[in-house]
Amino acid sequence: MKKLTAILALVLALCMFTACSFAEPGTEKYAEPVEVHFVRDTDDTLDANFFSQFPDKTMEDNLWCDLYRDQLNIIVKYDWIVKSGDEYDTKLNTAIAVGDIPEFVNVNTLQLSQLVEADAIMPLEDIYKEYATDFTRQILESDGLSPFQAATINGHLYGLPNVDSSLMIADLLWIRTDWLEKLGLPVPTTMEEVIATAKAFSEADFDGNGEKDTIIGIAKDLWSQMFSLRGFFNGFESYPGIWVENENGELVYGSTLPGTKEALKTLNELYNEGLIDKEFGVKDGGKVAEATTNGKCGLFYGAQWNSIYPLQSCVNLDKNAQWQAFSIVGAEGKVVKAQTNVGTLSWTVVRKDVKHPEAVMKMFNLFIDKNWGPENENGIYYAPLDSESIWKLSPVVPTNPHKNDGAFLDLEQYRKDGDESKVQGEALSILKKLQAFESGSEDGFALWGWERIYGAQGAYGVLIDYFNKKMTQDNMFVGAPTETMVSKMSTLEDLQDEVFIKIIMGEEPVDAFDKFVEDFNVLGGADITKEVNEWYASVK
Amino acid sequence: MQKTAKAARLHSGGKFRKELPFHLMLIPGVIIVFIYMYIPLSGLIIAFQKFVPAKGLFGNQKWIGWDNFIYLYNLPGAISALRNTVIIAFFKIVLHLLIPITVSILLNEIRSTGFRRTAQTLIYLPHFLSWIILGGILIDILSPSDGILNRVLGLFGMEPIFFLGSNDYFRGTLIVSDVWKEFGFNTIIYLAAITNIDPNQYEAATIDGANRFQKMRYITLPNMRMIIVLMMVLSLGNVLNAGFDQVYNLYSKQVYSTGDILDTFIYRIGLLDAQFGVATAMGMFKSVVSTIFISTSYFCAYKFADYRIF
Repeated sequence: MKKLTAILALVLALCMFTACSFAEPGTEKYAEPVEVHFVRDTDDTLDANFFSQFPDKTMEDNLWCDLYRDQLNIIVKYDWIVKSGDEYDTKLNTAIAVGDIPEFVNVNTLQLSQLVEADAIMPLEDIYKEYATDFTRQILESDGLSPFQAATINGHLYGLPNVDSSLMIADLLWIRTDWLEKLGLPVPTTMEEVIATAKAFSEADFDGNGEKDTIIGIAKDLWSQMFSLRGFFNGFESYPGIWVENENGELVYGSTLPGTKEALKTLNELYNEGLIDKEFGVKDGGKVAEATTNGKCGLFYGAQWNSIYPLQSCVNLDKNAQWQAFSIVGAEGKVVKAQTNVGTLSWTVVRKDVKHPEAVMKMFNLFIDKNWGPENENGIYYAPLDSESIWKLSPVVPTNPHKNDGAFLDLEQYRKDGDESKVQGEALSILKKLQAFESGSEDGFALWGWERIYGAQGAYGVLIDYFNKKMTQDNMFVGAPTETMVSKMSTLEDLQDEVFIKIIMGEEPVDAFDKFVEDFNVLGGADITKEVNEWYASVK
Repeated sequence: MQKTAKAARLHSGGKFRKELPFHLMLIPGVIIVFIYMYIPLSGLIIAFQKFVPAKGLFGNQKWIGWDNFIYLYNLPGAISALRNTVIIAFFKIVLHLLIPITVSILLNEIRSTGFRRTAQTLIYLPHFLSWIILGGILIDILSPSDGILNRVLGLFGMEPIFFLGSNDYFRGTLIVSDVWKEFGFNTIIYLAAITNIDPNQYEAATIDGANRFQKMRYITLPNMRMIIVLMMVLSLGNVLNAGFDQVYNLYSKQVYSTGDILDTFIYRIGLLDAQFGVATAMGMFKSVVSTIFISTSYFCAYKFADYRIF
């Protein structure tokens, strides 16, 4: 009898569960209004593109907040709003330190680990299972499972990933092609040719000031997305800042590989020959951008968007200038792989005592559905022509990781068959930009940067090539930061940059690299490597 | 006998009652010092913990003994930061004494009050600019590619010098620019001491046939002794303060080996890298060494110059 009751209860429960899933719990509107409290930062693009046009709108009263209210009965509130990402991190770190944790908050993996350690946030895997729609799952998981692994601690998923593309982070080699043509040089295909090209640019003295001061653009923060050194190191089979597998199947820190030493040696030679700015150690990206703008730099490594900034200002000043992104190249006898990393930079976490944690999953569903769903309302909610940054008004911003390469492929197809009707959503708004540029109008010229990304010679073509030819080296460690990593990694990264800069500038001999590897291990690197490999063994 | 004891007690009670208002006036100051100087000292326990901020200061933190100190000892930057701090602070202290004393004596000898006042104001002005502003100005002035100083040096056929990026020049640049910024302010203190000297002494010396240098040597300097010793004792407490504002606004990764000081080091480890335990350990080490320096300098001042604060 007891058994029977149990079975009955189970059947009943199953019925209820299926009934629920028929109503799609992830899109269901709340009967009573639910207030969700977030915190956030804002940025100049929002001010310039949205708030300046709609001065009566606020962060809590706009298109996205209306949408969440009307469709889900969710009222979005902000406990605080700060001006920049840096300020956001400072304020959030302080808030975490004093235990004043917001209900819903977007964090990075370090902050996530701290919050888990403090036992302040709740596991979300059940909510994800129950409330994520199929389409949401498809989008969130389309860049691999690493965004989820990074937020999984002790088997529990603590953050919903605001996913973004990993491929986009890979370095490209940006070259001034008008200079190449003038000198009759081919596009470099080896590291030796890259160096020869840089030398030829310097000899040619295109800015005509009588000095051989044309440089390879490098910014002091070495690994940012413009004037980076990542692509250069990759050419020597060195992968700074990410974890790669060695021949024994163990993970090692990419900065400590032998190729790094060769890359540093070469950079030191370039520095001595004057092909690297003597002052690069004190110049940030904005300062180096002056060199590209003023025709003192014709070659550098950076991300696909670099044509929009900083290169657009170069062509604005010199209409004959032309830049193009090319594949990175390898030194003699090296395999070329461009390093990538998990593109997801923020995860939404939920404080332990929140009554409706599933509200955030519902918001994820709605955001993804409106922007990339079948109804194709991307043009209204994501980036309408008149106010591009409108998507940032939503407190959660999971992005379709393949939206950009997808758009590029759509445009490639259009370039082949000329069928505009198949170009839709974001691709269509990009196509309009490309057409405006091709019209040759003054306004259209301001969209030169877009043409360099999505046009026939566009940067995305190179990135998709990386992908198709398996020319990427992914970060093999995609778990949540390990215990020692949380406390010691950023200090080790500082140490690394300091030593690298000194070696490049010749303040220390190239052999100082060996001392760095030793120090790295003594100061926590060995422990981190051990923890990373424990993680690797657990997911293999 | 009993009577005298009672009288003494009465007397001391009377004294206390008489001084009561002064004690009351002291209370707010003592409370503030207690809240902001003594209570935060309890935070020093972080130096011996694997500190997780979210658990709170007195939460269930893991104790790790001297691990943070050992880690610091192994960290390549820590020892050089200590060395840089001592070297930079030492030269700053010495020059901050010598130059203002010299300038104040020389200014005092100038007859034209107009010139003296103008000079005084002009050298005093940089004191009011913050290092944020001066840092930006100095970076431009000292730039090797288009800074005005290197242009001038170029006129004399000199190679441009990267003052803020070269480990040979960075400390010197720090010391000189800091002395330039502050010597006017210190000069005023010494000038004030000089104006307090009794003019009769100078008149008497003149009658005895002393020349100007003899008057400086035998009247002005001995009369300034107290203020000089005071300034010296006070500044020795700063032997591990090489000037965070200045260094922070002028340094870069390439000059860490000669320009990184304890304060900037602690800032980076603690506030940027969030290694609170290690940063506290470093801060505690700094406090201990500073205490030793202050005690020694106070003892020396008492012993050799018969100067005492308490």
